[in-house]
Amino acid sequence: MKKFKLECEVNGKKVKVEIDSSLRLLDFIRDVLGLKGTKEGCGEGECGACMVLMDGRAVNSCLVMAVQAHQKRIVTIEGIHKHKYGAQLQESFVKEAAVQCGFCTPGFIIAAQEILSKNPKATLDEIKEGLAGNLCRCTGYENIFRAIDKARRKK
Amino acid sequence: MPEYIEKYYTLKDLWKSVKKLPSDRKYLAGGTDLVISLSCGNDKSSVWLDISDIDRLKEIKEDGKNIFIGAAVKISELESNPLIKKWASALSECVKYYASPSIRNTATLGGNYANASPCADGVLALAALRAKVMLNLYDKRRVVDILSIVKGPKKIDLKKDELIEGFIVSKEERKSIFMKMMHRKRFGIAKAGLCMCYKLEKGKLRDVSISLSSVAPSVVRAKKTEEYLEGKNPSKAQTKACQLIREEISPLTDIRSTSDYRMRIVSVFLSRALCSI
Ligand SMILES: Cc1cc2nc3c(=O)[nH]c(=O)nc-3n(C[C@H](O)[C@H](O)[C@H](O)COP(=O)(O)OP(=O)(O)OC[C@H]3O[C@@H](n4cnc5c(N)ncnc54)[C@H](O)[C@@H]3O)c2cc1C
Ligand code: FES
Ligand code: FES
Repeated sequence: MKKFKLECEVNGKKVKVEIDSSLRLLDFIRDVLGLKGTKEGCGEGECGACMVLMDGRAVNSCLVMAVQAHQKRIVTIEGIHKHKYGAQLQESFVKEAAVQCGFCTPGFIIAAQEILSKNPKATLDEIKEGLAGNLCRCTGYENIFRAIDKARRKK
Repeated sequence: MPEYIEKYYTLKDLWKSVKKLPSDRKYLAGGTDLVISLSCGNDKSSVWLDISDIDRLKEIKEDGKNIFIGAAVKISELESNPLIKKWASALSECVKYYASPSIRNTATLGGNYANASPCADGVLALAALRAKVMLNLYDKRRVVDILSIVKGPKKIDLKKDELIEGFIVSKEERKSIFMKMMHRKRFGIAKAGLCMCYKLEKGKLRDVSISLSSVAPSVVRAKKTEEYLEGKNPSKAQTKACQLIREEISPLTDIRSTSDYRMRIVSVFLSRALCSI
């Protein structure tokens, strides 16, 4: 296996590391960097548990190769609090009981961050549309919608 | 699983090195199809060539007659780009029906085309726009009609190493309508889809093109229906056009839908489209 010299920024820190080029971005984040907040649910782009921001846009890290993050900025759930809405969303998810097992939560918060940063006036319908790629098997969604809506109002 | 991935930023570098690589090589764009094939163990190639950051493939630009949309343009960019909204609005309209926002941030229009799926939303829009595709092999280009090299699911007539450089849409003031039926409201593969581009002159339809997804082995045009609609008043032509379009297709029954239901969707979509004009 040929190595790739990956240079990128993760949660504001420069990272320079030699990796197997066959790693997905998800494997790189969890296994190389040890950031376990990003989850693997389906591994097929359906559930959103693996979402991270790449150059400010939410992507499914199970469908992106680590090599594709070369020279890019990655933000995971561990770094989201530094971004506008990030800490607010985290607090709001707790307050509104939008978390049960929590497996989907990192992905929802990343998706919500993109929704609100693109459209700070997002309506409830727009929030729902923006979450089309996130599945939660526990909370029933209403609490999640409310949490995002409240985080939006507080900013 | 690829042994390694080479990353490129310019076409020049790609053509300089490509022939020296192992022969079982493959292009990687967004990866939304390819990376899944890796998890399933379906991909046997040893090198992937990452073309997603080649500048030329990310361009959206215009000249006097046409707009050019690079193959590595992400689906999400199609939604709000002013040139695409103005000259290829079918592509902007397809975005909200296309997967989820995060998939749209990754998947490229070129990958959608190369995958040659009968349900490909980007291809459905490109076909109704009568787009052309620009192919590039070792810096020699050819331009062909969008559906002319699509032969069936995952079958596309590309030569070894031939790269989809981008798509050409001519600047025509046509309106468009995009419709897609899925098993849920958002984020699903089409049971059937219809895209129509047209002009309306003094109440009559002109320059109509209609494409259909998920009703044949690849995206198809409904040419007889298009011909019939030429010069007609949209609401008066409705009944006959809906009958004609059903005669033009013979969809399969599969896990997503039945042949009969697909026929109905297509004719209801056409009827709704004509009523809305
Ligand atoms: C969860 C999920 C939902 C989806 N939903 C939809 C949907 O609603 N509608 C829809 O139409 N599709 C959908 N798809 C399919 C997929 O997103 C598209 O087909 C996508 O556009 C592929 O683009 P990519 O850039 O990710 O391709 P890749 O995975 O990078 O490549 C796909 C294939 O195309 C080849 N290729 C890519 N670019 C080029 C090029 N420039 N020249 C030559 N060959 C090239 C690659 O070698 C590979 O064989 C979905 C996929 C997933 C995983
Ligand atoms: S693990 Fe990536 S979308 Fe489910
Ligand atoms: S809280 Fe358990 S999956 Fe969402």
